[in-house]
Amino acid sequence: MHSSPIELANDIGVQFYETRLGVYDEMVATEHKVLPYWQDFINALETMGSEEIERRRREAQRLLRENGVTYNVYGDTQKLTRPWRLDPIPLLISNEEWAVIDAGLKQRAMLLDFILKDIYGEQALLKKGLLPAELIFAHQGFLHPCRGTLQNQPIDLTLYSANLVRGDKGRFWVLDDRTQAPSGSGYALENRTVMTRVLPDILRDIQVHRLSSFFKGLGKGLANIALHNKDNPRVVVLTPGPFNETYFEHAYLASYLGYTLVQGDDLTVRDGHVWLKSLEGLQHVDVILRRVDDSFCDPLELRIDSRLGVTGLLEAVRRGNVAIANPLGSSVLENPGLLAFLPKLARYFLSEELILPSVATWWCGQPRERDFVLQNLDKLDIKQINRRQDNGFLAGNSLSAAQKEALKAAIIAKPHLYVGQEQVSPATVPAFISHRIQPRTAVLRSFVVANGDGYLVMPGGLTRVAQDKDDVAVSNQAGGISKDTWVLASEATNPGPPKPQLLRTPPNRVPVLDAITEPLTSRAADHLFWVGRYLERTEAVARLLRTVLLKYQDMLEFKDTVDSTALAALLHSLTHVTMTYPGFVSSHPDCLEQPQNELLSLAKDSHRAGSLAANIHAFVQSAYNIRDLWSQDTWRSVDNIQYRWNLRVVNGEIVIEQLQSYLDDLITGVVAFSGLTSETMTRESGWLMLGSGRRLERALALISLLRATLVQRYDAAVQNQVLEAVLFSTDSLIIYQRRYRSFIELSAVLELLLLDESHPRSVTYQLRLLAEHISALPRERGQRKLSEEERLIIKAYTDLRLGNVVDLLKVDDDEGIYPHLERLLADTTKLLWGVADTIARAYFSHSQTSQLMTANTIPEDEL
Amino acid sequence: MKYRITHTTTYNYSQAVGLCQNQARLQPRNFWRQYCGHSHFEIEPTPKDYRELLDYFGNRLAYFAIQQPHKQLVVTAISEVSLFPGRQRHELLPQSTWQQVRDYFQESSGQELSKQQTQALLEARQYILDSPMVTATPDLADYARPSFQADRPLLEVVTDLMQRIYSDFTYDPASTTIATPLLEVLAQRRGVCQDFAHLAIGCLRSFGIPARYVSGYLETVPALGKPRLVGVDASHAWFAVYIPDIGWLDFDPTNNKMPHDQHITLAWGRDYADVTPLKGIAFGGGQHSLSVSVDVLRLHSAVS
Repeated sequence: MHSSPIELANDIGVQFYETRLGVYDEMVATEHKVLPYWQDFINALETMGSEEIERRRREAQRLLRENGVTYNVYGDTQKLTRPWRLDPIPLLISNEEWAVIDAGLKQRAMLLDFILKDIYGEQALLKKGLLPAELIFAHQGFLHPCRGTLQNQPIDLTLYSANLVRGDKGRFWVLDDRTQAPSGSGYALENRTVMTRVLPDILRDIQVHRLSSFFKGLGKGLANIALHNKDNPRVVVLTPGPFNETYFEHAYLASYLGYTLVQGDDLTVRDGHVWLKSLEGLQHVDVILRRVDDSFCDPLELRIDSRLGVTGLLEAVRRGNVAIANPLGSSVLENPGLLAFLPKLARYFLSEELILPSVATWWCGQPRERDFVLQNLDKLDIKQINRRQDNGFLAGNSLSAAQKEALKAAIIAKPHLYVGQEQVSPATVPAFISHRIQPRTAVLRSFVVANGDGYLVMPGGLTRVAQDKDDVAVSNQAGGISKDTWVLASEATNPGPPKPQLLRTPPNRVPVLDAITEPLTSRAADHLFWVGRYLERTEAVARLLRTVLLKYQDMLEFKDTVDSTALAALLHSLTHVTMTYPGFVSSHPDCLEQPQNELLSLAKDSHRAGSLAANIHAFVQSAYNIRDLWSQDTWRSVDNIQYRWNLRVVNGEIVIEQLQSYLDDLITGVVAFSGLTSETMTRESGWLMLGSGRRLERALALISLLRATLVQRYDAAVQNQVLEAVLFSTDSLIIYQRRYRSFIELSAVLELLLLDESHPRSVTYQLRLLAEHISALPRERGQRKLSEEERLIIKAYTDLRLGNVVDLLKVDDDEGIYPHLERLLADTTKLLWGVADTIARAYFSHSQTSQLMTANTIPEDEL
Repeated sequence: MKYRITHTTTYNYSQAVGLCQNQARLQPRNFWRQYCGHSHFEIEPTPKDYRELLDYFGNRLAYFAIQQPHKQLVVTAISEVSLFPGRQRHELLPQSTWQQVRDYFQESSGQELSKQQTQALLEARQYILDSPMVTATPDLADYARPSFQADRPLLEVVTDLMQRIYSDFTYDPASTTIATPLLEVLAQRRGVCQDFAHLAIGCLRSFGIPARYVSGYLETVPALGKPRLVGVDASHAWFAVYIPDIGWLDFDPTNNKMPHDQHITLAWGRDYADVTPLKGIAFGGGQHSLSVSVDVLRLHSAVS
């Protein structure tokens, strides 16, 4: 490198920052000179240098990945989650400018609230001709069963969000309004949290408005709309589930605000009230923070094909028994045709002009506007008023002649379904891309929440930038990058240095009541149970695979027939334990002599049920379903397990010799997770479910191993090798040697692994704990009889305790196996399967399926 | 004319249902041609939660939930209805052409309406637009076009359209289900009353005329000398058209007649989806089977 120190310090390329002609830029406006309020920040970056900024960018990505921040991509058949991407350069907005945005957003939210109340109330706007009826009636967001269901709240539109862009004159415009179930506030908060970690020095020196006040306001706002239990309402977050694109945020907000995360079938309507199905019974729900689209919320009255909703929900709303934010039907406000009428409606309702204008919009339902759009197709974007799956608009100037004619015909046929919008050239913002600062198109999503009689605006927001230089549109689906948004405090309103945010307790709860734990939904219980099971399965397979690899090395080294016989027994057991038949049980001789490929497949083939990769994937999926229940540290340990295994084994070019050390690391990861959960989870239903899953699965895996290795009779030399391998695989070799100080005997091994109640790796130990967990699970009050699952586990436990090694190893000389041992192990397995089934039936009530019944009595009319 | 209607729906389940929520539009609404003096439900098992209300279209709606385990649900609606036929002599009123009606709605869009026009017109306006089961398409317009001759009075247009559907289409219960798309009905030229009503509605909407779906019953008259059988009647469906200054007029394309004194109206809406007589969501239940019986009994005749 020949650069002088000064040039090095200037290596982020501010001097080469090239904005597009005629496009406003956040940092340099139109003058190509850094704006004063950006100067401190840019100075700090220049001092840092590009290498350091890049280092911090990577650090940010690492933190986001570890925290499980993802954005799921629709239409991705792999159901893959995409890591959230964060640019280390925030969008800076001056305090003065923010004051205008703040006032503009509040005004718009108030206006939209008036419109919502009218559309679902007396419809005076339609009667007076202030809004054309077709514009409302033809919009899919107008849900007629919702008319008359608003609950006379001072404000019905609790949440509001707008996408803002800066136009070429430097003025902010509203691109669209989001009123359905606005997403992004959680991502904005997580972005800020990460920025505080990676740019602590800069955030200390530059005064930035904090976001926590907004989330306090959100908590208060949600408590405010409760119609019952106003002092201590139960709030739930209703999510479509982990495949939804913003599921991370649903879990994140639920956990941050202290609410229960639920899916539709976690709730039920009885007596016109909404109840949460928890392990402890039905719990009254007062407020729903809704992240399911409104038309999917009630299959009885809205979309009958919805599997995401709660049957009878709208009736509960109608009776004033539950409040929903936002109310069902509020997506009617997302109609882009409304934009054309907002200025008139602002004058009508507020006697004010709009502070934040909308992008110029012509609704084709009016003849003059339609003709204008048809004549100016080249200069406009054409949208349908109903948002479509492809989320698209058509840029008039990008269409072929034939497409244009087709579009014109469609507009003429049903003009009320179309709008034309001015094509905006959004301002660019500086982004850190390839070690340089470069301009990129940006959209700012802002967040507003009703707070009593007024609205509160998040001082900041979620900024998203296009990935490529020439992109004008910004979308997460297409892989955009996000930014933190810093609203700079003026000297007078200096907020002080950022403090770590502590808002884990619901803000409106009296401290004395904080000991209340949120109920565990039956769905969460189900997932916890399976987290436990997959965890143990993963560990058992990893340990056995490691043992097999050691034996394999021995065999290559010593080429002893005893080794190869023992290895064959172990390879068989690996197939049995993983249930990956035919595997090594296959009669083909190659599979035993050349086991490498099969062993590698069992490690890395994630599409193969029973493989380590598949078990790890299932473990992480189950854990992700209940993301809101895990501490940050615990989630990181989950993420690490999968991340490393995928990196090194699943996607890596590995040879069999490397597998050993990766397995060591995997086992350490599994143990870390177990340790973290046992150190952080309270001994309540959740813990009992996780524990039950673990104990059940550990017992099943162990029994399966014992059946595959010990039931068969071998020569003493082979037997010795097999027994040693079994002890090693169950982490019991050391304890065996300490306890027995002798040659390894089958009877002693059985004593230790099957019957010893004090040994945490024995079957009996698992069954004792499982029995304890099951008897501690909540059950219907007044039930004195033993439950079915209690009966089964007590029987399994007792049968084992009554067993003794001498009897179990009784054998006739001509038999190749120990029949008594086999019978006990088989019977225990059967009982444990029964336990798993009865637990599922008794506690996982969310899985009950519903069916639609319609009496269609049309076809028999008389002619 | 006075009728008693008994409409019974029975669900049988192979396994117990733990919870079911239902909506019934089985109680006839009142309007100028019809008065329902008495109507009640008999539901077994007795619902713990039962409530009556009016829906968005003014139809009578009952919500009820069975919250205890059950393997059978029987819902019976019993109503007494009086019909007052012939109160309106629409053929004597001034006749608007179909173009006048279409333009009337197009031009008054987004304008302030006078008080008396307001509600009726606002309501009518939603029946011009596409609805869940009826979308206006070029195919429907093509089929309807022969009826829509220039400057023809709308009443004549609709009467002609009804007549054409009646003669062009074969009544065939085996040909369609609730889910059969309208275009398939059009292509097959077969269907049931519901399809014919949807078809006519789609044709009218394709020309900008408000049309709505009516669900109800039709009295069955036994053949001469045959005894009247109980419970063999059925639900029926037809359509209605809005004509400014006259109001809504009913047409039954299945029977090629304007409903008079044998059509009992239950409910109306944009299409079948708005007025499904009985729908419910059951949790559990395994396989279910369904049987329906309808009895329309003439109590006494006002005219004869």
